[in-house]
Amino acid sequence: MTSNSSLEQAIDKILKKTEKEILLDLKNSGSDSKQTLDDSLPKLEQEYDKIISDGYKEADKIEKQIIGSSDLDVRNKKLLLLEEGVDKVFSKALDQIANTDRSGDYSNLIKTLLDEATKILGTTKVTVFTNTKDKDVVKSILSKYSGAKLSSETIDCLGGIKIKSKDGTMTFDNTIDARIERFKPLIRKEIASTFGMGN
Amino acid sequence: MTLEGGVQYSKIAEIKGPLVVVDDVDNAAFDELVEIETNEGERRLGKVLEVGNGKAIVQVFEGTTGLSIAGTSAKFVGKVMEMPVSKEVLGRVFDGLGRPKDGLPDPIADKFVDINGEPMNPEQREYPKDFIQTGISVIDGLMTLVRGQKLPIFSGSGMSHNLLAAQIARQASVVGKQDDFAVVFAAIGVQYSEAEYFRRSLEESGALKRSVLFLNTADDPAIERIITPRVALTVAEYLAFDLGMHVLVVMTDMTNYCEALREISAAREEVPGRKGYPGYLYTDLSTIYERAGKLQGRKGSVTQVPILSMPSDDITHPIPDLTGYITEGQIVIGRDLFRQGVYPPINILMSLSRLMKDGIGEGSTRADHSEVANQVYDAYSRAQEVRALAGIVGKAGLTEIDLKYMDVGDVFEKEFLTQAIDENRTIEETLGILWKIVSKLPKNEITKIKDKYIDQYYKEE
Repeated sequence: MTSNSSLEQAIDKILKKTEKEILLDLKNSGSDSKQTLDDSLPKLEQEYDKIISDGYKEADKIEKQIIGSSDLDVRNKKLLLLEEGVDKVFSKALDQIANTDRSGDYSNLIKTLLDEATKILGTTKVTVFTNTKDKDVVKSILSKYSGAKLSSETIDCLGGIKIKSKDGTMTFDNTIDARIERFKPLIRKEIASTFGMGN
Repeated sequence: MTLEGGVQYSKIAEIKGPLVVVDDVDNAAFDELVEIETNEGERRLGKVLEVGNGKAIVQVFEGTTGLSIAGTSAKFVGKVMEMPVSKEVLGRVFDGLGRPKDGLPDPIADKFVDINGEPMNPEQREYPKDFIQTGISVIDGLMTLVRGQKLPIFSGSGMSHNLLAAQIARQASVVGKQDDFAVVFAAIGVQYSEAEYFRRSLEESGALKRSVLFLNTADDPAIERIITPRVALTVAEYLAFDLGMHVLVVMTDMTNYCEALREISAAREEVPGRKGYPGYLYTDLSTIYERAGKLQGRKGSVTQVPILSMPSDDITHPIPDLTGYITEGQIVIGRDLFRQGVYPPINILMSLSRLMKDGIGEGSTRADHSEVANQVYDAYSRAQEVRALAGIVGKAGLTEIDLKYMDVGDVFEKEFLTQAIDENRTIEETLGILWKIVSKLPKNEITKIKDKYIDQYYKEE
């Protein structure tokens, strides 16, 4: 009997000790796990924040790409349309100029063009070139310019004159075409502003 | 635009390299625009370099190949070269002479501006002090760019300066302000593939909308390169001082510009200076670089990042040498880092932004910026010394603190310097990495930062 109770006591003691140890281990493991979880939480939050901010950055980048390219597409289409309009205005204006009546004030225009051209070359001893339509007008004015001679050769232009010095080294183009070409950027701007663009 | 000029001269005395000498010329003016017409009716542009004794020397931008004395004529236009400018130039691509290259018509001009610009009144200049974020850590953190500054990038052949240029153009912004920001990009004598890369890169990132591109490719006549930076800067000045935008001008490669200048100088038989470049190279470069700045009472600014490749990586070569005299610091691309595969391979120990101190700190970046940047400079410099020492005595011979500095050097190169080409870091992220590097050092090694910042940002490992 005595030996049995001692045995039981020993077993109880061992069981209690083991139980205590197991409980302590469990408690430690619990707190370790809690600690690990607590530690990883800020890391997790950091990771989460990073993923979110990267996502925002990427979304922002894509938004900029889409908006940027569509804005440009729209603007470019507008530019092409405007240019089409400008071209139409130009061709209509050129048609009107080409078919202008050569009588009346037109001879004044030719005179102004000749005055300008001879002044720029610094001499009236020049050969004058013009188109078939303006030939008669030019011929009638030319007597006022000593030494000026009308070339038998005609040039292809809307109107106006082109002069060349006698030695052939200097030329000044004062045809309507050349003047339009010179002022084209300004004329384009004017036309564009009537379409409500360009200013 | 006036009717003055327009006289066409057909007496060509000589064609020499990129120059045409016209005889019996009256009334031509220095820098006057000239239209050269060939036998076949082809027109090329040029400008008057010299007039006198009835002769005019004309520099032909598109080269003189195919021109002959007989049959060629020169029309003196009566005005200097002008660039049509308006807000519509944004989002457009032009060639090196400012002509549209994107298949669209000429922009409707708000005004026509002389490409030589108007010199800024020194009295009216405002000191540059506002931060521009490039999104590239090494630039923003250690050699900060400020509005109105001219900060060149010195590179070498084959290195990644063009990638860096495109990244700056895509990412640059003014932080925290609603001010309009624009990028003017001038590619001077670059390869076709590079020009395409610049264009695609800006298009795909959506940055083209706020950019203007001037592309002069390597196969374009060299003489055009003289004009490209000038038309680009003319547009930049208009956007900045007429429209109030903050404009970043990236010009690559200025070495090609200088080569073109040398070509003309040689053709004019001028007395050559160092390495055959003209003696006026410094003056000429200053007419480009000095177009950066801010003006009192005007809202906008022009900031320049010229990029030049140093022949044989020689920083004493006349081009980087003279550039360095004019600009406010330099960013040097290092061959060693490039070979190690580091991007962007910027050698911080040879680089410097002289205006950085005025563009950083409280109110612009962060109060601790200057101190943490100084500490990292110092630590990286020490790391380089330790690396050299380790090369002799081996790692085993190094002290514990030496090893920490080596570690700092590695982290600096791997985490701070190295960046993806599409990675746009905010200034906070950049400063965060700088503190990560500083935190590798024991506190007693941190001598350049105030305690209050150490307490706030130092993270002991």
